[in-house]
Amino acid sequence: MANRNRAFLMMTLPALLLFFTFHTYPVLQGFFYSFTDWKGYGEWNFVGFSNYLNVLQDVRALSAYGFTFQFAIVSTILVNIFSLMIALGLNAKIKFQKTLRALYFVPNILSILIVGFIFNFIFTHFLPEIAAAIGLNALTGNILGDPDLAWVGVVIMAVWQATAFNTILYLAGLQTIPEDIYEASKIDGAGKWRNFISITFPLIAPFFTINMVLAMKNFLMVFDHIIALTGGGPGQATESISLLIYRGGFQGGEFAYQSANAVIYFVVIVIISIFQLRVLQKREVEL
Amino acid sequence: MWKKGGFLFSFMAAMLLAACGESSGDDGQVELELFSNKVENIGTYQSLIEKFEEKHPNIKVDLYAPPEAETILRTRLVKDDMPDMLAIAGSALYGELADAGILKDYSDSGLIEDIQPAYLEMLDDLTEKEPGGTYGVPYATNANTVIYNKEKFEQLGVEPPKTWDEFIEILDKAKEEGEIPIYFTLQEAWTGMIAWNAVAGNLEPEQFAQKKNNDEASFQQDYQEVADKMLTLLEYGHDRTFGIGYDDGNNAFANGEGVIYLQGNWAVPELLEVNPDLDLGVFPMPVTNEPDENDLVSGVDVLFATLEESEHPEEAQLFIDFMLEEENMKQYTDEQAAFPALEGVYEDDPVLGGIRENFEEGRITSFPDHYYPPGIGAENLIQEFYIQKDKERFLQKMDNEWEKVERRY
Repeated sequence: MANRNRAFLMMTLPALLLFFTFHTYPVLQGFFYSFTDWKGYGEWNFVGFSNYLNVLQDVRALSAYGFTFQFAIVSTILVNIFSLMIALGLNAKIKFQKTLRALYFVPNILSILIVGFIFNFIFTHFLPEIAAAIGLNALTGNILGDPDLAWVGVVIMAVWQATAFNTILYLAGLQTIPEDIYEASKIDGAGKWRNFISITFPLIAPFFTINMVLAMKNFLMVFDHIIALTGGGPGQATESISLLIYRGGFQGGEFAYQSANAVIYFVVIVIISIFQLRVLQKREVEL
Repeated sequence: MWKKGGFLFSFMAAMLLAACGESSGDDGQVELELFSNKVENIGTYQSLIEKFEEKHPNIKVDLYAPPEAETILRTRLVKDDMPDMLAIAGSALYGELADAGILKDYSDSGLIEDIQPAYLEMLDDLTEKEPGGTYGVPYATNANTVIYNKEKFEQLGVEPPKTWDEFIEILDKAKEEGEIPIYFTLQEAWTGMIAWNAVAGNLEPEQFAQKKNNDEASFQQDYQEVADKMLTLLEYGHDRTFGIGYDDGNNAFANGEGVIYLQGNWAVPELLEVNPDLDLGVFPMPVTNEPDENDLVSGVDVLFATLEESEHPEEAQLFIDFMLEEENMKQYTDEQAAFPALEGVYEDDPVLGGIRENFEEGRITSFPDHYYPPGIGAENLIQEFYIQKDKERFLQKMDNEWEKVERRY
């Protein structure tokens, strides 16, 4: 038995080492530097909590939090609705089921930057031309150039790209539901909608939980989408927290200050994820 | 984000280790790493480096010009893993590196004797060191210009203006004739800085940044006219002023949309690539009504700096000497439509003839935004102002952001 345990230990060690060197150690480093005035090079001094106090008073950071949450909540909801619908469709007995499944997964394997450039073209040229042709004046501009609408553009692209992954998880969930339950409900005279509400949805609740948590976490860290589409603009309308940390830290030379911002953000994401798990797991059921 | 940064560091470190492994050849060959922050001139550098290596077979120059170069340079700085030489612009980053004391001082080297004094002054202003020094050899310079479609100017029957009023008259005339007076590309925030710098460079008080830090100047006090003039220019845009970016703008302007294009000299080769038959001219934006007071906004686009810690200072010196040879400098400036930093050497490209006078007479001034603290993200704030057009609020925001960033570590 001891031998067996040692084997398992040996298997975990490399992963643990890699994880610690490339993940935990940099995080700890960031935590450490958030209490200094380090610019990224040269000499530094401890400055206590003043970086943290400054973040809390920074209007730019607050508006980045505002945008990021608005974006993340809307995108998470939309992604879950769409991916659940697509998963239900793909799980039904339809023709070309395998081909369609593969096809719906394609957005996930495309690089976000490439998708971004395609959507940029769509928003800049394709949509305005269609809008002009059908006389829709409100949309003849570029929504990415409008501070009130640019975030919608980012949501559209993010949802299109992210739905594929969550669909796969829901599909996996749907296949865990045994067929005989549906047969039983059929005998009881339940309709399609009743089936979904009372059987399907409760039984894939664990997958709903993990999808909500993963999608929310991913969208809170949104970065590439924004680089590819708007660069944080117009103005600072679509500046996400990740983008702010990157820009301020590396381009603005505020390494220590943005480290503090990153630590705060890390704590916020952890709290949200735990909260989501707690609330959503309560309504999960077991067969 | 931290994860990404950490990953980047480790990745860079791994790549550099690999690079170092190669360089320790036993054949006496010296490898010199040249880090450049421009992607536009890679081809020109490569052909010049080839020539250099032919002349000095024992030196191999490794050109490294990644995208987002300034960010990468900062991360390498963090890793204390700097290249031998830098080819960077005279911007805030140069100032920081010079202040960090890691660049070789060229003040007494004799290499900078022939450089236009205006550029040396600009570099000096970027550092906080007292007394200042010159921590790089200025090589090529750029300028914020007004690019105009000569054919359309002829159709309108107008000449390049000398004063602000004449400039506005031309714009009015173009509007009346149903042309797009100015083709803006403001979806990309940085393109809005061209006009901003041209206007502010001529109107802001001398040493604005320094005075601002000493509370002797502020945006609310000293940028009123700048903001007003920008709002005036914006009236001459097109209906998708904020929906079109730089590349799309280049295509549109090269294909005859718009009379005037507010861009730097670097856009000229790009425009001619789209449409080689395009008849272009440039002039400095006449910001005031005093023709003699309108300076061209120009800055150091490329300067060669050597790291103090470089193990091959002599070889770096040889490379700089080689680049400064007239023939090579001419190749660089011709291919890049750039301007030589040397006094008495001028670009003879006919398109750029309209600003030659400014170089000859030394009527040049620096890019104001190079002196703004980089942390404020000025271009996005200014883009926001162009869209919202709320002058007082914007100027106040600029002041607040500046003070906030300066207060921070």
